[in-house]
Amino acid sequence: MAADTMNSSPKQSLSLWGKLTQHYSPLVIVMVALLVFVFVAGMVTAPNFLTWFNFKTIIRDAALVGIMAIGLTFVTLSGNFFLLSMKETAALCVIAFATSMSAGYGFEVSFIFTMLIAVIAGALQGILIGLGGNPIVVTLGAAGLFFGVGSWWSDNLVISFRRPHGAEWLGSGSFLGLPNITVAFILFAVVAELVLRYTNFGRQVYLVGANRAAGHATGHENFSMAIKTCIIASVCSAVVAIAFAAQVSSAHVNYFSSSFGSSGDMTILVIATVMVGGNSIMGGYGSTLRSSLGAIFISTVDNMMVLHGFNSGPRVLAVGLMIVFSIIVFALLRRGSRVQE
Amino acid sequence: MQPLLELKSIKRSFGAIDALRGVDFEINAGEVMGLVGENGAGKSTLVKIISGFDAGYTGEYLLKGKPVVFNNAVGAERAGIAIAQQELSLIPTMSVAENIFLVGHNVPLFATKRSLAKKAKTFLEEVGLDDIDPSKGVDRLSVGEQHLVEVARLIAHDPSVLILDEPTAALGESDSIRILNMVKRLAANGKSIIYVSHRMDEIFKITDRITVLRDGSSQAARPASELDVHSLVSLMLGREMTDMFPQRSVVAPVPPMMQVMDLWPDGLLGPVSFDIKPGEILGLAGQLGSGSGEVLGAIAGARKTRGGQLQMDGRTFLPKSPREAIAAGIGYCSEDRKHDGLFLGRPIIENISSPSLGAISTAGFLSHRRERDLATDIAQKFTVDQSRMNAEAGVLSGGNQQKVALGKWLSIEPKIILVNEPTRGVDVGARAEIYRKLRELADAGAAIVLASTDIQEITNLPDRVLTFYRGMLIGEIAQDQLSAATILKQITDPFNQTNL
Repeated sequence: MAADTMNSSPKQSLSLWGKLTQHYSPLVIVMVALLVFVFVAGMVTAPNFLTWFNFKTIIRDAALVGIMAIGLTFVTLSGNFFLLSMKETAALCVIAFATSMSAGYGFEVSFIFTMLIAVIAGALQGILIGLGGNPIVVTLGAAGLFFGVGSWWSDNLVISFRRPHGAEWLGSGSFLGLPNITVAFILFAVVAELVLRYTNFGRQVYLVGANRAAGHATGHENFSMAIKTCIIASVCSAVVAIAFAAQVSSAHVNYFSSSFGSSGDMTILVIATVMVGGNSIMGGYGSTLRSSLGAIFISTVDNMMVLHGFNSGPRVLAVGLMIVFSIIVFALLRRGSRVQE
Repeated sequence: MQPLLELKSIKRSFGAIDALRGVDFEINAGEVMGLVGENGAGKSTLVKIISGFDAGYTGEYLLKGKPVVFNNAVGAERAGIAIAQQELSLIPTMSVAENIFLVGHNVPLFATKRSLAKKAKTFLEEVGLDDIDPSKGVDRLSVGEQHLVEVARLIAHDPSVLILDEPTAALGESDSIRILNMVKRLAANGKSIIYVSHRMDEIFKITDRITVLRDGSSQAARPASELDVHSLVSLMLGREMTDMFPQRSVVAPVPPMMQVMDLWPDGLLGPVSFDIKPGEILGLAGQLGSGSGEVLGAIAGARKTRGGQLQMDGRTFLPKSPREAIAAGIGYCSEDRKHDGLFLGRPIIENISSPSLGAISTAGFLSHRRERDLATDIAQKFTVDQSRMNAEAGVLSGGNQQKVALGKWLSIEPKIILVNEPTRGVDVGARAEIYRKLRELADAGAAIVLASTDIQEITNLPDRVLTFYRGMLIGEIAQDQLSAATILKQITDPFNQTNL
């Protein structure tokens, strides 16, 4: 009782750090500070770094991984760990989209068809996880299933579809000078954050993630949370798949598997993004905003390394180091921010 | 006589908070010293310093008159100071004997299961576990027996001072008695024992002297024989204790709010039927494993049942999940608030509003203003510090956590509140507040059902008590018949099997 009513000394003059932490979580401050540091480092060492063109490239590179990471963040926050099927879901969706497009159904129909498949894929995994299946095992199985179906469906061939195909606006269009995929990324980041903060559903995601048993006891079932969050993650994968296919007017089941981005594997990169953003792996703590920042951070570092002529080996290493580093930093910060009883 | 262990003007602060501000403590050889105080009074901090977990203090630490400094727990253990903490550190998949010889200088280099079991036997006898096969897996023992094994492991290192930190907090009556008997036996064998507990009856049963901590300061140790419950609580609170238990109100004869009909929760031997009336506190008395808690869980939809129905508001139903029970106006506080009563990592405000998101949202969108109003109102009623509404629930003390876990149910405007062990690990001050609150809720027309193994509480708070013994509903005790003796008889020996 005595210790409870005692507030941490309001009298002592606040340092800059103190003032900042009054308004923002220390984690976000560290994240932004690191971002600024990398930017400054980039500016000093690479002359091409601080150009509007390069900045757009960074955000654009972050967009695809970022959108998927935003979707996956819902799953992670709700305490259902990760979906190991992110890239396979995207692979299945890219085949579905391209097949429909090449059959001449047009963009709208193909989009809806692809989304439908994504919802089914997400719901399937969500139901199994919600019934108590281990997320790692379930999604590992689902990954094989989705990839197998996609590969079979496409005969493991590249499916091309003709321009004009009605999807140019998504693939190569722009809005206010920003590529549309970048706009979509920003839109997703904002909407996801608003959903988490201001809706019933968002709150349930946090509560169930923070303590599943207490969630059950207060009427919030993980069953429905698992299904909803898996569908969100799956739909985000599908959006990325469609955007990617629209850009290159073709699809292959391996588009997201090998030599994608810097670290080769889309699923690993997406999970890395969620973790570098500092979301709690156990759920209940974090935000999609952090994942978005994580995506930009990874993309910035990667961009700088490209400008310095590093090839893929060191760049993969850098992503790995970022994960380890962020886990340590965030664990320490989190421990520090908790008052010991 | 020189005390075996002596601490003089110990000070310890954490940041701006002074946890201990000049504490003196001593214990003689073969003595049982009670250590009591409200939550936050500094008991845990003092215990950590004595057992070497915390070296960041100022002051003198004397062992047999010689100053000592322990940098870690291993140092203190070598010097003969052992601690049994609330959380058990046994390895459940290993046998009793293997757990006893898990670590330390006495672990034999080579051993067969049989030789290990033989060696373990002596230590088990010392703690009163002669009836247990040392090669049995620890996970097959009762929680009480596990506590005893934990102590047996410490005894194996032959400590001179043994610290027991609330050893009976999670135990039922019969297991608690085993612990108390063990303490007496160990003290008779010359060990010094520091006994930390919230349970007043135990403190008086087994301690020779009692040290009271209050707000980080110590009162001189007094012989237990010079104190009684009333004076001890006054020392702890620093003021006279007004009556712990609120006045019972007269419940007018009214039709029941809920009829429980042939409800058969898993874990009971047969179905039970009883009424719950509006405005009353109904007590379910029983030891751990008697089935009283299971009945609550079944009504709340949190526990599987073999059958039965509830009748309420002219509707007959049986909730299959807490969600359905909440919709019917039933709130349920389980006995383990850390497990399913609180979202420890989330803000207090979110904890309070968690069962009633529907009430603070429109078309799925949360109104943060309505949430704040609701939570502030409840926090006020339960005297939870409102300036800390955005702090994580995990930083609160046990008593305040319990107030949040219980208070959150007010947000659904419940008709029935089911509470299981509402004051476990809760200090005296918060305890009285919780009792008062439950009574107020009943007076306002809600029905409260309270399951408890605390005999003081189950005798003095409820208007009516149902007794349970080994999975059976034994009987009902009306208000004018309520006494600790009647209840104890029915929950420990209803069929006159033993002569107590």
